[in-house]
Amino acid sequence: MDALKTAVVLLVEDDLGDRKLVREALTNLGMSNELYVTASGEEALEYLQRSKCGDVESPRPNLILLDLNMPGIGGKEFLRRIKVDDDLCSIPVVVLTVSDEETDIQESYKLHAAGYVQKRASPEEFQKVVSKLAKYWFETSSLVKS
Amino acid sequence: MDTLKPVVMLLVEDDPADQKLIKKSMLDQKIDNELIIVETGEDALEYLAHSKSAEAGYPTPDLILLDLNMPGMGGREFLRRLKADDVLDTIPVVILTTSDSEQDILATYKLQAAGYVKKPPTLDGFREVFSRLQEYWFVICKRVPQGQLSCTAN
Repeated sequence: MDALKTAVVLLVEDDLGDRKLVREALTNLGMSNELYVTASGEEALEYLQRSKCGDVESPRPNLILLDLNMPGIGGKEFLRRIKVDDDLCSIPVVVLTVSDEETDIQESYKLHAAGYVQKRASPEEFQKVVSKLAKYWFETSSLVKS
Repeated sequence: MDTLKPVVMLLVEDDPADQKLIKKSMLDQKIDNELIIVETGEDALEYLAHSKSAEAGYPTPDLILLDLNMPGMGGREFLRRLKADDVLDTIPVVILTTSDSEQDILATYKLQAAGYVKKPPTLDGFREVFSRLQEYWFVICKRVPQGQLSCTAN
């Protein structure tokens, strides 16, 4: 479980309720201090730019959790942009969205999402989903070191 | 998830002992799965060419499990070619290897691997890995819609 405590997660999510759910779910896994939140694709790109410049307040994420429907460039355009960046493209991005549209699933995988997870309405279900996600990414998979 | 159809996994692995361990650990999984095994990157590309043409007996994999060190082109080159293919690039590829070198981890994520799993030393370890892997990919993740990979679809 040590890996869980050292992972840095960047959540790109504009919905306050969903942010709270993710934060709580990760807190229950012992991860609250490593979660960084931005409210849009633009803000996330700015965060990542700062992390590339070595800003200690913006550590490089080991994993990005990405909402799709957000104001501004939205999740897909954000995904497209980081996957064409020669440095940032190694960060796995998991889509976390309410949408179960086939086109969204298809397009996200086409843009190299490393998973497409549909948000659950109940906090209990949300917790289960985040727990499975964390077990895969932080206990089973090795990640690029920050 | 679609629980009616078994999930299809393509294992690209040349080591017979590892093939056997993986096969065994798959048998114990709760999720109905079909494991297809090929031994090299070249064989995997050939299999996928049949899948693209929607040939019977070559179901499109929902997930590819990829060893890195194999004869021939090896895992990395296979991954590079797959992700450069306009039809096959949506299939998630998880690396399954004995290597834990930082260089391999970085290089394969750059090539858009969707996970990097170091092979465990025991059968129980493999069972645990596959349980988590399946819970992530086939319980909480949505799969690429069926029929959208084939060249002949639409």
